[in-house]
Amino acid sequence: MAQRQQPLEDQMRTLVVGVADFKISTDSFTYIVTFALGSCLGITFHDEKNHVGGLLHAMLPNSSIREGQKIRPPMFLDTGLPLALEAMVRAGAKRDQIRCKVFGGAELMLSDKFFRIGSKNIDMFYQLSDSLALDVVAWEVSGRVNRTIRLDNQTGDVLVKVPSKPEFIR
Amino acid sequence: MNKAAEMQAVVEMTRSIPCAPAILPKLLKLTEGSAADIGELETLITMDTGLATSVLRTANSAYFGNASRCDNIADAVLRLGSKTLYRIAANTLTGRWLVHPLRGYGWEPGDLCRHSLCVAICAEVFAGMTNLADTSTAYTAGLIHDLGKFALAYANLSALDDVASRVPNEYATWREAETAILGYDSSQVTKALLENWGFPSAFISVGFYYQSPSLAPDVDKPLVTLIHAAKHAASQLGYGVGADGYYYEPDEKCLTEAGFTEDQMEAALPEILSSMQRFVAPDGVVHFN
Repeated sequence: MAQRQQPLEDQMRTLVVGVADFKISTDSFTYIVTFALGSCLGITFHDEKNHVGGLLHAMLPNSSIREGQKIRPPMFLDTGLPLALEAMVRAGAKRDQIRCKVFGGAELMLSDKFFRIGSKNIDMFYQLSDSLALDVVAWEVSGRVNRTIRLDNQTGDVLVKVPSKPEFIR
Repeated sequence: MNKAAEMQAVVEMTRSIPCAPAILPKLLKLTEGSAADIGELETLITMDTGLATSVLRTANSAYFGNASRCDNIADAVLRLGSKTLYRIAANTLTGRWLVHPLRGYGWEPGDLCRHSLCVAICAEVFAGMTNLADTSTAYTAGLIHDLGKFALAYANLSALDDVASRVPNEYATWREAETAILGYDSSQVTKALLENWGFPSAFISVGFYYQSPSLAPDVDKPLVTLIHAAKHAASQLGYGVGADGYYYEPDEKCLTEAGFTEDQMEAALPEILSSMQRFVAPDGVVHFN
């Protein structure tokens, strides 16, 4: 966990990322937050040296389910991840300095035929992280918990909140 | 206090909450026909100041407004149409009921409102894809399916913390833990509440059986199965899902028999998300108008 310079908590700005959205910040004193991931994946991107951070909240693994229709690229992992990486580099990040952390992918119990989006998202992320050569430094996925995550854009730490439990850092 | 008396006390406590959604069944009946009785609708809406305000505000919003200002409920009813009117009423009445801060399920304030709205929207979309229920009924059933949990949390029972701490190590599902620790489960409380408020039997079946649709009476099974599907689909999206959210078993047999497929439900999620994002801001704030 990196040491952060000490701005007062109320000096930190907050950037909120909705479902099927990606946001980026070059301001160190910013939290980038997304709420209630459910089976979606929240992927943080951070280049500590160049002070660029981003957060993607992707809902589904593959844009092929909307073939021929207009899509929101951040909604899907296969379109959202390349978009996020490009945006990070455009904002000043060095491709080989970007560290990723992955959160979400919650699952219902005993589900063989339905509601397996969480595991499909995780499988797709594995594939894509390989083909895109992502440097993934933390995983907090699967399980039966709804996660809210907050990227501290100065340190790259991610604060994770799940219902009924205290916040922790990954 | 014995368990039955305690459950009754939980139900009684909710009577003191102002503006409970008790007028919804009557409103649904009035708006579901093609020729809604405007006079009766007007009377019903004006009984609730907050609802009347919401209706007028929406009728004069940029989306519905035209050159002339609408300053009475009868004109607003005509301008909005029964379906929109019903949606405003259902959201206003249940929404204000579901935003109290609560304990027990790990909810933040507003979580049950966000989750119920998401279940309602999933139910409405699934109803449009299937013949299991009409869209307005499905929407309302989604909004009210878990009112018992609200009542339990509102009653502030310390035993709810015990339930939370013993799932999954001692009890596999949340419902098992509620039954073992409280002596009853939230679906029984939902049933008692909806009976008290005079909801039609199909809604009572939804509240009582949505976790186990195979057990629902045949006549109500299509709607109950629809809400079961909507509940779990909404949980995937995460809106307002508390500590209990993923400790329920999907009834795959019932879903298959009703004609649902995994691909079909996943393909519907982008549309469901677009509807949700009309009402819920990225920071979770719900705005119904």
